[in-house]
Amino acid sequence: MFGTLFIKECKQILRSLVYYIYVIVLILFLTSQMSGDSVNDLQKPKKGLDYYGMTVSTDKTDIMERTLADLLQEVYQNSFSTYPMGFYKQVILNDAELDEIKEIIEDCSGKDWDTLEKEMLEYYEAADQSTIEGAMQAMMEDRIEVKKDISYDTFCEKMERVCKIIGKGSSYEKKRLDYGVDVPSTYEKALEEYNGIVEKDRVTGAYMRLFCDYAGIILAVLPIFLGVTRGLRDKRSQVAQVIYARNAGAGVIQGSRYLANVCMAFLPVLIISFVLQMPWQYQAQTLGVKADVLAFLKYDVIWLLPEIMIVLAVAFFITELTENVISIFVQVVWAVVSLFSVAGLVGGFGLKLVTRWNELGGSALYEQQKSQLYCNRGFYFVLSLVLVVLTCLVYEKKRKEGESVYGKIFKRRK
Amino acid sequence: MERYLSVGSNFLRRQYLPHLLITLLLCIMSGFFVSFQNLSPEQAAKVMEMFVIFTGILLFTPLFMPEQNREIWLLEKSKQTSLWQLYLVRILEALVLLAVIVTVFIGVLSLGNSEFEAGKLWLGSFAEILFLGAVGFFVSGITNQVVLGYMVSVLYFVGNIGGSKYFGKLALFQMMKGDFTFMPWMMAGAVILLAAGIVIREKMNQ
Repeated sequence: MFGTLFIKECKQILRSLVYYIYVIVLILFLTSQMSGDSVNDLQKPKKGLDYYGMTVSTDKTDIMERTLADLLQEVYQNSFSTYPMGFYKQVILNDAELDEIKEIIEDCSGKDWDTLEKEMLEYYEAADQSTIEGAMQAMMEDRIEVKKDISYDTFCEKMERVCKIIGKGSSYEKKRLDYGVDVPSTYEKALEEYNGIVEKDRVTGAYMRLFCDYAGIILAVLPIFLGVTRGLRDKRSQVAQVIYARNAGAGVIQGSRYLANVCMAFLPVLIISFVLQMPWQYQAQTLGVKADVLAFLKYDVIWLLPEIMIVLAVAFFITELTENVISIFVQVVWAVVSLFSVAGLVGGFGLKLVTRWNELGGSALYEQQKSQLYCNRGFYFVLSLVLVVLTCLVYEKKRKEGESVYGKIFKRRK
Repeated sequence: MERYLSVGSNFLRRQYLPHLLITLLLCIMSGFFVSFQNLSPEQAAKVMEMFVIFTGILLFTPLFMPEQNREIWLLEKSKQTSLWQLYLVRILEALVLLAVIVTVFIGVLSLGNSEFEAGKLWLGSFAEILFLGAVGFFVSGITNQVVLGYMVSVLYFVGNIGGSKYFGKLALFQMMKGDFTFMPWMMAGAVILLAAGIVIREKMNQ
């Protein structure tokens, strides 16, 4: 019974226009995002280059000097980036507030505002910003020396005052400062990074983490449309009562529908990741490394499958409960909050729905944080099963009572 | 007239209310996501184009929801009031609500000491938000699936973030660049989409 319903459901999904839009958007999004990382860029670093990319530094002097330079830039442009509710919010200050922050910068650096502004303009004028790498390097090397008598704690206190002026969620909050700042990498660090990609990740592993980063963003939203379409199909086709009268239990009906949607949503992800992984396998061969051919499967199952499962489970549960499209808004808000509430773009998984790893490499850091990722994905795996069980209970209740939970609520209003 | 008022109020109470509550929630929560203080003309336009624009999707996409059910559609078809009149009443309701929302946001921006031409921004915002809403309305109308309407309008918004150059005169986010020449095109586009949504839908349902 379960198998027959499962296959029927898969066939129905294949006839749905929403599914084809899902596949097309997925392909367009992933191929456009992943095309920026050329397979030929993966080379052993050479000595004596000007630029080796960037790395995160938690050195207190680095944090203070880089933060002060960033603050100077934002004051100069009178445009402050904040994330009060996880969403980006630009803050513009009035003259009195700007003057107060300028005083704090002067106090930390021991130089007056005009001198600092002049030095900054001269620095950026001299820097080669004709390429993206050049502009990035100029930004990362921009520093303002902090007075010797200012300790890290005093600096953080002053930044707290800045936070009060700008508002919640700025880059000057202590937790953000403690996370570290981007600084230019060195040859030794670049070599260590390369060795990690080659030895630990066997090339394809590193690439699949980057793939999961981008795929995780779009998969936090797209499957919801499949789930809502499925949830409303019985109502639209007016077959709900006919299906209620069948022998199959709620678990079999809802379980087969859910599983079919999960499989059909996951299938294109698997195929795309396999195809995109292939050039990196060949690149590994040219570098004399035995690539991890199954990396796409491992990362997809661990990283992306639980995400698809929870998004679909939320869609199934809310749609079954309300018989409305409300879960689209719930899921879009959850995805956007999760996406923008991160302090950095690499790691720090916690219980975020969208887990980021926007870097090709970082093998050592990934090894450290792997268990955190497993906990995160394990949590959502279990939660999605709980929601599916709840969906079955709601379905069974509606089946026994012959009307919808949503309908009942509205009946009382008459 | 009384009949149209009754049609409008019934739709508002029985079908539209959850969607209006979500729109209201989005407006109330705006303070958490965007700043209304000391903005330049481009920054004020950004508030309207990146945030308030979602109200268009929320207001216009679900207007065909009751008729997704074929029986309701057949019942309404048998009544004296034509279906296009019914849809028109709903569109008018959504237009009035959109005008109120745009006016409130422009008012809040003005009170926040922001510098911009209120009339110009009002018209530009109204045209752009209406156009995106009309995209959702059109798609949900011709496919008879409100989910597809939401999906396509959200994707139209997302597509414009990186690829507005491919949308020509119907590209979003032009006010942020100080360009208001899109207004007549979008207004015309919105009217065509709203009319075509009704006509094509009814032709397909015959």
